[in-house]
Amino acid sequence: MTFTVHDLISLSPVLLIGVGILATLIIEMLVKESEKILGWFTFVLLLSVAYLSLILLDHTALVFEDKFLTGGRVNIFFFLFSFGAAVVSLLSMEYIKKAGIHFGEYYIMLLSSVLGMMLISGATDFIMIFIGLEQMSVCFYVLAGFNRRNERSLEAALKYFLLGSFATGFLVFGLGLIYGAVGSLSITEIVIGYETLKTSPLFLTGTLLFIIGFSFKIAAVPFHMWVPDVYQGAPTSVTALMSTTGKAAAFSALIIIFSPIIQAAYPSFFTPVISVLAVLSMLYGSIVAISQNDLKRMLAYSSIAHAGYMLIGLAAWNEKGVSGVIFYLVAYTFMNLAAFGLISLIEKRDLRGTEFSDYKGLGFKQPVLAGLMALTMFALSGIPPFAGFFGKYYVFLSAIEAGMTWLAIVGVISSVISVYFYLRLIVVMYFDNSDEIVMVTPSTSAMLGIMISVLLIIIMGVAPGSIINLINSTF
Amino acid sequence: MLVEYIPLFLVIAFAIVFAFGTVFSSKIFGPQRPNPEKLSTYESGVQPVGTTHERMSVKYYLVAMLFIIFDLEVIFVYPWAVQFKKLYLDPSVGTTAFYAMLIFLVVFEIGYLYVYKKGGFKWD
Amino acid sequence: MEILQIAVITLVKILIVVTLMLLTVSYLVYFERKISAWAQNRVGPNRVGPAGLLQPFADVFKLLLKEDIVPFAATKSIHTLAPMLALFVAFTTYAVIPIGPSVEIFGYKVDLVVADVNMGILYILALTSVGVYAITFSGWSSGSKYSLLGGVRSSAQMISYEISMGFSIAGVLLFAESLRPVAIVNAQSGLMWNAFVQPIGFITFVVAAFAETNRLPFDLPEAEPELVGGYHTEYSSMKFAGFFLAEYANMIIASAMIITLYLGGWQVPYIEKLGLPDYAVVLIQVTAFFVKMGVLLFFIIWVRWSLPRFRYDQLMDLGWKVMFPLSLLNLIWVAILIMIMN
Repeated sequence: MTFTVHDLISLSPVLLIGVGILATLIIEMLVKESEKILGWFTFVLLLSVAYLSLILLDHTALVFEDKFLTGGRVNIFFFLFSFGAAVVSLLSMEYIKKAGIHFGEYYIMLLSSVLGMMLISGATDFIMIFIGLEQMSVCFYVLAGFNRRNERSLEAALKYFLLGSFATGFLVFGLGLIYGAVGSLSITEIVIGYETLKTSPLFLTGTLLFIIGFSFKIAAVPFHMWVPDVYQGAPTSVTALMSTTGKAAAFSALIIIFSPIIQAAYPSFFTPVISVLAVLSMLYGSIVAISQNDLKRMLAYSSIAHAGYMLIGLAAWNEKGVSGVIFYLVAYTFMNLAAFGLISLIEKRDLRGTEFSDYKGLGFKQPVLAGLMALTMFALSGIPPFAGFFGKYYVFLSAIEAGMTWLAIVGVISSVISVYFYLRLIVVMYFDNSDEIVMVTPSTSAMLGIMISVLLIIIMGVAPGSIINLINSTF
Repeated sequence: MLVEYIPLFLVIAFAIVFAFGTVFSSKIFGPQRPNPEKLSTYESGVQPVGTTHERMSVKYYLVAMLFIIFDLEVIFVYPWAVQFKKLYLDPSVGTTAFYAMLIFLVVFEIGYLYVYKKGGFKWD
Repeated sequence: MEILQIAVITLVKILIVVTLMLLTVSYLVYFERKISAWAQNRVGPNRVGPAGLLQPFADVFKLLLKEDIVPFAATKSIHTLAPMLALFVAFTTYAVIPIGPSVEIFGYKVDLVVADVNMGILYILALTSVGVYAITFSGWSSGSKYSLLGGVRSSAQMISYEISMGFSIAGVLLFAESLRPVAIVNAQSGLMWNAFVQPIGFITFVVAAFAETNRLPFDLPEAEPELVGGYHTEYSSMKFAGFFLAEYANMIIASAMIITLYLGGWQVPYIEKLGLPDYAVVLIQVTAFFVKMGVLLFFIIWVRWSLPRFRYDQLMDLGWKVMFPLSLLNLIWVAILIMIMN
């Protein structure tokens, strides 16, 4: 195995973050009160990784014995992960101080999880996917329980860990069967042998188990049980990370496996399975979210529904669907980051204050925050001039093109249902009133993070064409 | 190849028989006259207090976890060590064989130093 | 060779080696008591047989005729399994240690090692790891606090030193380019003994071997003043004898390991230049192996009666903060040495 300069340059986003993790470890052990430095250090590091992945968009390279790919679509995922995590690090700085979990390890875990995500999205081999997934998940388990004096946080960590390792079991079992059928874990080999493999029961069962394992990670019904409790119990900034980049990483695994098969124009055998998952997730998420009184829990159910919308793009089984999913992932990431960022600001010192009733009259007391929150809710429900609308638009369009109009119709119905609970928050903020004083100290860093996310939501809503063209150009 | 291992299996079988024989021989030769006093737990002559199945300090588990991590590191070193001379003399690899392992060890040892600095090796 | 032939030869070898080991263990105990008596200006065992030479046999028969007590609080199955595991480990590890080069006996080519396998070192490491279970099981299952503390301490200590042991062995492997013990011995011809080439690794390995065998100054698992008998407090009769036997057998194996890995095994430097006949060379070499072993065993006993016991935190500090970095340095040093030499 030899490295050329080109390989090293192409790999530089991954290498930079790897070196960065070591640097954060060294800073953490040498500097007293390192947590003050590490927040900004992490932010700058992730930002430069995001920048590197964008400028290296056309540096395609196959490295690590053909097990890792960089450039093109992979770099778009790199950008999404690192930029999303950079925003999370902005949101975290004040929040973890408020929550009493102001430790430098928080940032080390954050960076390591981003490295795991990058390994997933660049993999050309199932083993690489598995390694990346484990690295990401283990960091998430720890982060979910980071508030170790809070019972809910511990509950979240334990639940996430148990169900997550259960899902990993499915995944590994699936990998075993795939290896048995193919004799290799390389995705290229699978695409080459797809004609013969598509009738092999071993391969189909293995892939099905693989999809089930990842359904846990993307929170699709019926593998969603952990989501509400974990999203609610974990520190809000961690929830922001898990629900956005974490989900995007799990989707990236499905995309990198399926898109070569889609590109080779092989017929799909997984469309029925994926469609069922999509329909169940959309309807279940939207309907159950109506009855939630906790904002974090509501967003958890909404994230289940969003997983359903994105699965439509995969079920459509065409290239448009795949780029639609990527667009949706980017849009969803920044919408959820903004929403969770605002929640983390309004949350009280004892980690309460995430109920709908706590938002009564916010529109008069904190007009700026309430305005941003309203905008985010509009975007999440898919109301036109914002990113959420175009995400759904591209995904539904691909389904119609694939002749699956019924799937798009179910999607639209579920979107209509979801408008109810998103707008309910706006009603509570602007039309209810209470005498309670909402104490909010909007820190500069968190506001910066929220502003970046909101700006991106608007840009993606105003100029979706250029972004979808960028995604399409990387095919 | 497999013929090499036949002696090992014989050794293992012999050891199992030997271990059984030794432990159970006292059942044959020794007397069996138990009484409650004899069978109570030894605690320097006083009445035994409490049970032993209580929670241990978490430090012991920490040692176990650190052992797993560093023992895996050792296992990664072995194949390299056996092949090192060959790799070094191979002109297409050369000193890369050394630096690759050095990088691996440095990454690991940063973790070691981190544990050290954070008090993972404080046993009081 | 036919499988049956191999089996017969192996069985003969096993019988010889086990008999040798049992005899050595008995007299090791005797010599330990004599040396301790000498160190403390006492007489030592002198009643059974001339100069107490039959004392070991008296001990064995006494233990054999004692009652086997299993306390109420014990978990019976594991309590019984633990000494068996300890014995199993002690009487399997010797299989891969060569005591001499291959020789011709009655026309057969016979290796002076029970099993000459290509992963001998891994075999030894795997078995020593199993040995930890014997002690953990016995400590946990006895239902006594002394046993539990002894068992937990001992397992923590053994796994801590296993890492520096592993790294020291990696240094040896760099030179030998093989995991086969015979190849490791052959790589140390002349004065290229690993003890001279990599002294740091030699020292870390010897220290780790002391810790692995729970010998003083690392005998905290059975520190008498604090823990009575440690993990075997609740054992009696042949089960106790099993632990005792295993402990001394482990001493023998540890010294054999040190010899194989660092002291040139059976090799005597430059013996082939004397022009002796083959059988004499082999005889001298095998004798050399046993002489080296005797010296090392004496050294181990000597250390026991000269050094005080470590405190527990000192012991763990030594393992993790001194031995581990040292063995790592040794590894890098050997790699650099190989690069310089070639």
